[in-house]
Amino acid sequence: MNKLYLGGIIFAVLMMILTYLSVGSSKGGLNDDIVNVLAITGAIALVIITVFVVIKYVRQMQVDTATGDLADENWDGIGEYNNNIPTGWGIMFLLTMIWGMWYWTIGYPVNAYSQIGEYNEDVAVHDAKFEAKYKDIVGERLIEMGESVFLAECKVCHGLSADGIDGKAADLNVRIEKQTVKHVIENGSNYKLLGFEMPMPNRSGLMNANSGYAPITDAEIDTVSAYVANGFSGEGEDIYAGTCALCHGQDGRGIDSMAPNIRDYDIALVTNVLTYGKKGAMGTMPKFDRLNDKQKEAVSAYITSISK
Amino acid sequence: MFHWLEKHPFFFAVGVFIVIAFAGLVEILPSFAQASRPVIGTAPYSTLELAGRHVYIKNSCNACHSQLVRPFKSETDRYGHYSLSGEYAYDRPFLWGSKRTGPDLMRVGNYRTTDWHENHMMDPASVVPGSVMPAYRWMFTNKADIDTAFAEQLTVAEYFQVPYNQPVPMKDGSSVVVKMGSSVAEANAIALEEAKAIAADMRDQDVKDAVERGEIPEIVALIAYLNSLK
Repeated sequence: MNKLYLGGIIFAVLMMILTYLSVGSSKGGLNDDIVNVLAITGAIALVIITVFVVIKYVRQMQVDTATGDLADENWDGIGEYNNNIPTGWGIMFLLTMIWGMWYWTIGYPVNAYSQIGEYNEDVAVHDAKFEAKYKDIVGERLIEMGESVFLAECKVCHGLSADGIDGKAADLNVRIEKQTVKHVIENGSNYKLLGFEMPMPNRSGLMNANSGYAPITDAEIDTVSAYVANGFSGEGEDIYAGTCALCHGQDGRGIDSMAPNIRDYDIALVTNVLTYGKKGAMGTMPKFDRLNDKQKEAVSAYITSISK
Repeated sequence: MFHWLEKHPFFFAVGVFIVIAFAGLVEILPSFAQASRPVIGTAPYSTLELAGRHVYIKNSCNACHSQLVRPFKSETDRYGHYSLSGEYAYDRPFLWGSKRTGPDLMRVGNYRTTDWHENHMMDPASVVPGSVMPAYRWMFTNKADIDTAFAEQLTVAEYFQVPYNQPVPMKDGSSVVVKMGSSVAEANAIALEEAKAIAADMRDQDVKDAVERGEIPEIVALIAYLNSLK
């Protein structure tokens, strides 16, 4: 037997023994696990095949001699045979050329990778999914969605329970606080709460019909602020009716294209605050226009639900 | 010529290097120059904002906060549009950071406000329950270094042609002019003017009084800087 074959067999057996020792002694080992047995069998097969293929080619190099007609050209004694190239090589060469043409014209230009492109696709897929999932969402589920948006975006200022964290932001459990009403009456307002500019005059522009259209007084401001902040109850109904009701409506629920609802939250009001932001008695609220319309609606639903 | 090159491997290698290097220049440099140009809507930092940036660097904010929004849906939902290289054109050095113990601050000016920052820097846990960020109370008493900020402005205007005192285009088609003083005194006056606008939205009476006296606490400069991150 050829020395090479002997060496190859010894090498393969050695590899198998080493593999068995290392795997067999490890945790789990070959116990009943079909996957482990398969992997080991595959490894053994690979070792045997590799060893014998290598031996075949080494033998070929040892014994093979070239045949065929020599070409006329000769470079310092180094010649070349006139043989055809092997068929497999020829086919591969042709395929490479075809692939090259495809890659040059279509493969690269059409399928080129771009990070931003992948991002855009991600967003499109996500938006479509979002659209489909939340198209018909109403009632309880809309409120739940609003709560999750609130906890992600709003709680940082308004607090987990939407109480405004001790006056750091508006308390959303009530429609409006007394200090806010006072601030607005004294300074006027232009917060785009209706979605467009509709300024409310400051105190010098607010007359009380009950007192013969005299400008509103400090005492009246105090009373009417408490009245509005208490949910339209207690003293001050007459001042409200004589001064504020003209624009905000007798019931305080606002008048279309005239003044916003100051009695309770509604979708239009919250959406407009989220879209344009506002600067109120307590500070500035930035706009959150990266929320989409559905999310804004959900936040409105949530805030409306907790302020009842 | 080529026959000669084939016989001289060293010069052949030099030739190969030159060809490949030239191709690199042609391919890489123009797009690099294009990408590093300021995008429309990016304005240079004002004096006070630069002083705030120095406060940011001094307190190593970039150790916990990044300033780089990656193009992933999850990030752009939370922080806004992904960052473009041109947006860092006036950042020297850039403050990308490498670790987010706190959130990214690339566009914090879009969704936090002066009064929120004031509460937060005084006592982070009061507005973000469970926050591990330490309080930065000394910023309410330390004075911002306007002179250094002005020195940086002068330097970058002189050597990098940063467009101070000239119109810079904005996204909506308008343009803004970021002022730079012509003397230290004027720079301080400009910074104080900006500080007054910030302090008007703050509640801390000591800070308001300080600005009224013509002093600029670090917190005012820092808030000006954070508000400018959009």
